[in-house]
Amino acid sequence: MTGSDGEAAAPTGRMLYARSRGIPVALAVLAATAGLAVWAAYGLDAYLDPKRRVPVVALAPLLASAVISTSFHQYADELDRTAVRPWWPRRLAHLLALTALAAASLSLAVLGHTTEFGAPAMVRNTLGAVGIATASAALIGARLSWLPTFAYLSAIYLGAPGVHGGWAAVWAWPMQPGQQPAAWATAGAAYVAGAALYAWRGSRREGP
Amino acid sequence: MSTVEVTGLTVRHRRTVALDAVALGFGTGVHGLLGPNGAGKTSLIRVLATVAAPAEGRVELLGRDVSGHRERAEVRRRLGYLPQEFGYYPGFTVREFISYVAWLKEMAAESVPGAVERAVERVGLADRIDAKVKTLSGGMVRRVGIAQAIVNEPDLLLLDEPTAGLDPEQRVEFRALLMELGTASTVIVSTHLVEDVAAACAEVTLIESGRVAYRGTTAELTALGEDSLEESAGNAIERGYTAALRAHRALAGAGR
Repeated sequence: MTGSDGEAAAPTGRMLYARSRGIPVALAVLAATAGLAVWAAYGLDAYLDPKRRVPVVALAPLLASAVISTSFHQYADELDRTAVRPWWPRRLAHLLALTALAAASLSLAVLGHTTEFGAPAMVRNTLGAVGIATASAALIGARLSWLPTFAYLSAIYLGAPGVHGGWAAVWAWPMQPGQQPAAWATAGAAYVAGAALYAWRGSRREGP
Repeated sequence: MSTVEVTGLTVRHRRTVALDAVALGFGTGVHGLLGPNGAGKTSLIRVLATVAAPAEGRVELLGRDVSGHRERAEVRRRLGYLPQEFGYYPGFTVREFISYVAWLKEMAAESVPGAVERAVERVGLADRIDAKVKTLSGGMVRRVGIAQAIVNEPDLLLLDEPTAGLDPEQRVEFRALLMELGTASTVIVSTHLVEDVAAACAEVTLIESGRVAYRGTTAELTALGEDSLEESAGNAIERGYTAALRAHRALAGAGR
């Protein structure tokens, strides 16, 4: 019989779940992303002119969404399927906790100017980007889930930097000021759809 | 008494029929599931492990119909499963990986450390329990897979190609473990290694093209090989396997 003397304390299930999904690393990268966003916002003198915040408000959520959605990867998918409890509550808790943390920490980079490109715009863009990345994890797998978000947000950022109002508020939602209702509706819908899809199906099965 | 009962079991992968209206029952003991590659063995094991749902048919495990969520959850607590290919979480030690599976099975937290150590000891990896899984050899990883499957001392144990990557000595030890487990549990071993079945299994089910081609005891399959007129290489059970397979194919061909 193997003795237990001197061995590490028995790991708890929740801790093991967090480590199995790489959540400690994801938290560290999210913290670094927030730090980078703060540094970039000050570097751009964004506290003087809120419009200079656009790159930060549009691109920081992209990095955060990639970190969150790649943490959905399951290395032992076949064994995870034999879990006694249904997965959807754990998946939702995982998604909601990381989204809240990302939205709160990234918002620190853009305090003030709430009607333009302040914290509300950052929260909205985080929700929208995470929603797309989460839906992608369910449809194409967690490892490449960042790709559609990257393609979409980059295209919008490069192609429609100054387009506001009308239908542009729907399709160019990441570039809208914080109080644009249509942009909020689009980003919110993307988040709800992504969360529902992921909670229901989990991330798509991938190779080891 | 059967602990596994399937009727009319049909599994499809897109347009391919992997299992075609299969009816089978298994009781306590070690059962070998043989068949050529692509015969449907893994599809059957995955349905029995409740990780894949059948297109049609009824699956009753440990006296419960697993189509209902509550029944399926109850069965999963008492189920052990070694997939043909199982991934492992890269940063985990052997202890952590098996503890994680114990958590998935909702074992009581206070019983997990002891159960993990027992399972690891049974597969001969006690001295590597705190090693990272990624540092182990292929055979050792396979043994970790077996350990995770038995950590909850399952009433129904499903093993898909369990001896792949094990050396001859480890295979001998594994067969002894199988026979020990089979005294109280239903153990179903899917393999293409006929000698594993000959050494460890009391009963054999041969699957071919999604259908049951042969059922009998290992002794009966061996006797079929001894009666076989074919002077091919191989031992009696291998000849029996070949004879049963060809007889099924001839019958299936005549029925078309």
